[in-house]
Amino acid sequence: MATRTTQREVQPSLVSAPVAGVASLLLPGLGQVLVRQWQRGLVLLGSIVTIVGLMAWRVHDLAHREPGPLAMLIKALQRRPFFIVPMLVGVLILWLWNAWDGYRQAQPERRGGAGIFALVIVLLFTLGWQIGEIDLYKLATELPDAWRPLSRVLWPWPAAVERETETIGAGADILVPCEDNPPPPPEEIPGQPYLVATPTCGELSSLDENNQIVPGTILTLTGRGFAPNTETQIWWVDPLGNEFVVRQGGEYVVFETDDQGAFELDLIMPYRLIPPSAAGRQTHRVEARQVSAVGKLKIGDPLVISISRMVETIFLGMMATFFGILFSIPVSFLAARNLMSSSRFTIAIYYLTRTILNIVRSIEPLIWAIIAVVVVGLGPFAGIIALTVHSIAALGKLYSEAIESIDPGPIEAVQATGATRLQTIMYAVVPQMIPPFVSFSIYRWDINVRMSTVIGLVGGGGIGFVLIQYIKLLNYQAAGIAVWFIAITVAILDYVSAEIRQRFV
Amino acid sequence: MLEIKNLTKVYDDGTVALRNVSFTVEDGEFLVIIGLSGSGKSTLLRCINRLIEPTEGQIVWDGMDITTADPAQLRQIRRQIGMIFQQFNLVKRSTVLTNVLSGRLGYVNPWISLLHRFPPEDMEMALRALERVGISDQAHKRADELSGGQQQRVGIARALMQQPRIILADEPVASLDPVLAHSILGHLEQLNQEEGITILCSLHYLDLVQRYATRVIGLRDGQIVYRGTREDIRRMADEEFKEIYGEEAVRVSVGPHEGGE
Repeated sequence: MATRTTQREVQPSLVSAPVAGVASLLLPGLGQVLVRQWQRGLVLLGSIVTIVGLMAWRVHDLAHREPGPLAMLIKALQRRPFFIVPMLVGVLILWLWNAWDGYRQAQPERRGGAGIFALVIVLLFTLGWQIGEIDLYKLATELPDAWRPLSRVLWPWPAAVERETETIGAGADILVPCEDNPPPPPEEIPGQPYLVATPTCGELSSLDENNQIVPGTILTLTGRGFAPNTETQIWWVDPLGNEFVVRQGGEYVVFETDDQGAFELDLIMPYRLIPPSAAGRQTHRVEARQVSAVGKLKIGDPLVISISRMVETIFLGMMATFFGILFSIPVSFLAARNLMSSSRFTIAIYYLTRTILNIVRSIEPLIWAIIAVVVVGLGPFAGIIALTVHSIAALGKLYSEAIESIDPGPIEAVQATGATRLQTIMYAVVPQMIPPFVSFSIYRWDINVRMSTVIGLVGGGGIGFVLIQYIKLLNYQAAGIAVWFIAITVAILDYVSAEIRQRFV
Repeated sequence: MLEIKNLTKVYDDGTVALRNVSFTVEDGEFLVIIGLSGSGKSTLLRCINRLIEPTEGQIVWDGMDITTADPAQLRQIRRQIGMIFQQFNLVKRSTVLTNVLSGRLGYVNPWISLLHRFPPEDMEMALRALERVGISDQAHKRADELSGGQQQRVGIARALMQQPRIILADEPVASLDPVLAHSILGHLEQLNQEEGITILCSLHYLDLVQRYATRVIGLRDGQIVYRGTREDIRRMADEEFKEIYGEEAVRVSVGPHEGGE
């Protein structure tokens, strides 16, 4: 402290206080620089430039269609008053405060503390709130809507088992458009489900030029001979063979048959985009289907797939760790300063190795996985390559630091007994290396298994590979099973690796 | 006979640790080197078995020049020179027995020793060495489970395994409390008197020096500033001691002479 005080006395202000204040008013921080507080001045200038720049960017984003800066500001003010007004006031206060600070810094006692920087931080957080599009209202209002899919992820186990299903159904052909010779109704076979549509031809729903739906022909469907009191779906099969459950007013057409296994309902012919090349006479088909579960419970596909992919994931992590350890040991010797400081050449190798390790390590395994997928294609091998590369860099650094931190005393002592270099390594270096090597390796295995679940998202195999598919198919229960397996495995692994490390170290 | 001739050591950073140091050690002496921290005691001891390479000068042992020995010869020389350290320098995670056996590395087949296998007679010898320093019951413990005094005894046992003709002791008791210091130095004195092992030992406390040394060398800034016989050192007054140690030195009395643990 004493030396700092004397330094301040040695360097008096270059300008008087009012001049410093005006200078800061003209250019933030200038006054502070003139009173030889150049660090403070530069930080203030940088802060104000950053804040004003970021704000200009946000205003532009909010109102980029407006012609001039002023119009943009007004528009932005209309759209986000609670953001723009405080920011404008804040920047104004900051600017004036900076001028006042320049004035005060020119006083011999250099008063003026960190309050101005607190304001800078508050303004940056306000900007961050806006840039990050934080919207607590949305979070609160939309959470209930997300509850249904979320609850399926949280408790997916109904999908873990399934039964064999049997589908019974009947269909009728529908001709589009309605021309001569509409197809006859299908023949009725006693004892079999039977469906008849009237008429047997019609127009599909279509979109007009305003994207409004023009409803198609209404078909009256009459069914007989189905299983009584059973859920029944209406399916549409287009001439290309695509089939889907028909929606009416946004809801799937699903109903129950009556006591006799019969039903009757009206159906607007659905919208179907048919390629222009397929124009002309088309035979569509409407079907009524009943799906009933028969037979015993059996393990569901999502469960089987999740288990097998989880095993794949664990081994993927294991192989990557194994190869990572294998390659990182020699690398770590090259990256250990105490081993490489004997000559300029070895120091050059040390710096080169360190640089490469740092670069490789700073690239996320996810990126390595994408690169590996390009080389070897989708699958666990790509994931192994990605994790191996990252493990080599991470372990190489950790190992080399472990080598650097070993106690030279025992080495000296063993050398003094007349031991050879190899004996010295075996008796003085290796025993010191074992605990950190084991600890870091297990830790890395832990990381690799956790990472391999993510690696799968970009095609690196393992459970992440099926998880992302389930999510994309909106099959939340199956996704939930995969998530559960990931959570269970990671928890077990965490526990096991902690235990092993404790035993060894 | 060990002759040190004009030994100079300059470190890479330009520090001159030893300047033109010359002295002779007769077989069977208990030579104590005194001096402040940084006066070059450790460097001097480490130059003798070339853990540190001397910059200039010669070290001749029974007519053999240690300074020019090739690596194989150097190992032959080192295995006859035991060494004990202030920080004990045991491999903490290895067992006491392994630490003691490592003193045998200069004698056994280097390839077989990599598998941590030692001939049965070496095992027996290690147990006897541990018995001799009074900790045979600790043989299978990990080295870091032992107390400081016990660890230094392991250090002595390790040196004994070399069947040394000289023991270099670099401040062997500086990390121990005064009572233990006598116990450790007592072991060294016993080796010196019963087996005729030459001892070169650096020490701090005048009481210990007066009690154990047969000859004393004083180092200051890498130069010899004092040479004394057993009789000289017994008569040494605090003023002379201060001359070697500088004005700050205070005479510290060290426990009872028959101290145990």
